Amino acid sequence: MKRNKMLNPWQMALEQFDSVANRMKLEPGVHNILRNPKRCLIVSMPVKMDRGEVKVFTGYRVHHNISRGPAKGGIRYHPDVTLDEVKALAMWMTWKCAVVGVPYGGAKGGITCNPKEMSRGEVERLTRRYTSEIISMIGPERDIPAPDVNTDSQIMAWIMDTFSIDRGYSVPGVVTGKPLSIGGSLGRTEATGRGCMFTVVNAVKYMGLDLHRQRVAVQGFGNVGSVVAKLLFDQGCRITGISDVDGGIHNEKGLDPYKVEKHTQKNGSVTGYRETEAITNKELLALDCDILIPAALEGQITRSNAGRVKAKIVAEAANGPTTPEADRILKEKKIFVIPDILTNAGGVVVSYFEWVQGLQAYFWSEREVNLKLRDIMEKAFDEVYNLSKKKKVSMRNAAYILAISRVAEAHRIRGLYP
Amino acid sequence: MLKKIECFIQPSKLDSIKDALFRAGVEGMSITDVRGVGRQRGYTKDEKPKKEVKFLPKEKLEVVLDENMVEDVITLIKKLARTGTIGAGKIFVLPVEDAVRVSTDEVGRSAIH
Repeated sequence: MKRNKMLNPWQMALEQFDSVANRMKLEPGVHNILRNPKRCLIVSMPVKMDRGEVKVFTGYRVHHNISRGPAKGGIRYHPDVTLDEVKALAMWMTWKCAVVGVPYGGAKGGITCNPKEMSRGEVERLTRRYTSEIISMIGPERDIPAPDVNTDSQIMAWIMDTFSIDRGYSVPGVVTGKPLSIGGSLGRTEATGRGCMFTVVNAVKYMGLDLHRQRVAVQGFGNVGSVVAKLLFDQGCRITGISDVDGGIHNEKGLDPYKVEKHTQKNGSVTGYRETEAITNKELLALDCDILIPAALEGQITRSNAGRVKAKIVAEAANGPTTPEADRILKEKKIFVIPDILTNAGGVVVSYFEWVQGLQAYFWSEREVNLKLRDIMEKAFDEVYNLSKKKKVSMRNAAYILAISRVAEAHRIRGLYP
Repeated sequence: MLKKIECFIQPSKLDSIKDALFRAGVEGMSITDVRGVGRQRGYTKDEKPKKEVKFLPKEKLEVVLDENMVEDVITLIKKLARTGTIGAGKIFVLPVEDAVRVSTDEVGRSAIH
């Protein structure tokens, strides 16, 4: 899928925030505080590559707002990572944590790199160097990173290890999304996809539709997309389209995402899966389906293609997949958009559970984790939905109003120092 | 999260309690005829307790609800179940891990509302 070079995610995040904050008539002081990330760190990391040369990578860690609690946010490894993207993602994390009521502030990190062209050894050395460069910002009580695009539990393990070696003792609480063997939580890998599934099930329920008749198209088949496709398939939905960075597949009769996943593991992409029509990412977004789930990168539904979206429900499993202009078009088409800060909050909810279990040093069963996740996602969905009906605003605006008012309240009650 | 209320009441109080529960928004419940005793082991205030326990007829009422309804329902049952003397009964609150509606696969709160 193409990254829209004109799109500045930070401008997009600011526009989403400003438009709601202005309508809420937020006090100018608080409005300005929330518009500005608290701190941004840019680091240069020299890494010896396998072939011997030293390459210098640029990395970022941004704390957007920590009034409600320690900073929380994943780390992204991708060639398009910029400071502006990390700032936007950090701001979306602040709103996301506030919407679902977990006691965290928003943060995000990233390294401009292409891990798909790097060996595992190079990725490990880069990860450890990045950890040491941001080490003063992170810690179990101050900033707790997690996985994001192109990062996984192994990378979290390297971060935890580097931090712990530096401290001289084990600090499992410094990251979430860890492997089970070192304090990870059951249910964490599937959490974002599972949370997305819960929001879709709720949306379908509120719209009075039958889950079994819904045709679902998923853009992206990674951490989130593959899980939500499998879970909705388990719920009885028909998965008619799936795409990844290399292209997409379509079969109106429905695909088995478990089998597609096996194909991807063997071939590196969903493309070429049997008995499907090859489609582009662009075509997937315009597929004649009932539920569209962008689960890849930001800025995928824009002014130029929003008019072609045919789904009744768009569940934003990715961060920022819909530009503000596209949002307006989808609203006019009366498409029910479940905003990213609600839809993909499952990950941070189970990260919160991992952190809590780690603090207690007592781990719950997977069933318990999933039931607690369902409870939080349903309550958050109900709150946002009821507010959207009460104030006659979109789900995104309702979610933002809820989030912003909670963060603003934290500021008001804490006051301004000095 | 879901909770289950199990209460043991005097049979004479059943009708008024069940009506009040339906009015309060409870959508389902079950009752069982049981026999039970408390501290008095079945003997009334005026009887002299003997060694043998006298199990007396009670009604057991079970209802599963969302935890935000629990306090109101307890208040309601307490008000209506009181008899002015001993033997009015007990209310227990239990956690319910999950609920499933058999006909539609709905789970959790959707299964009971």
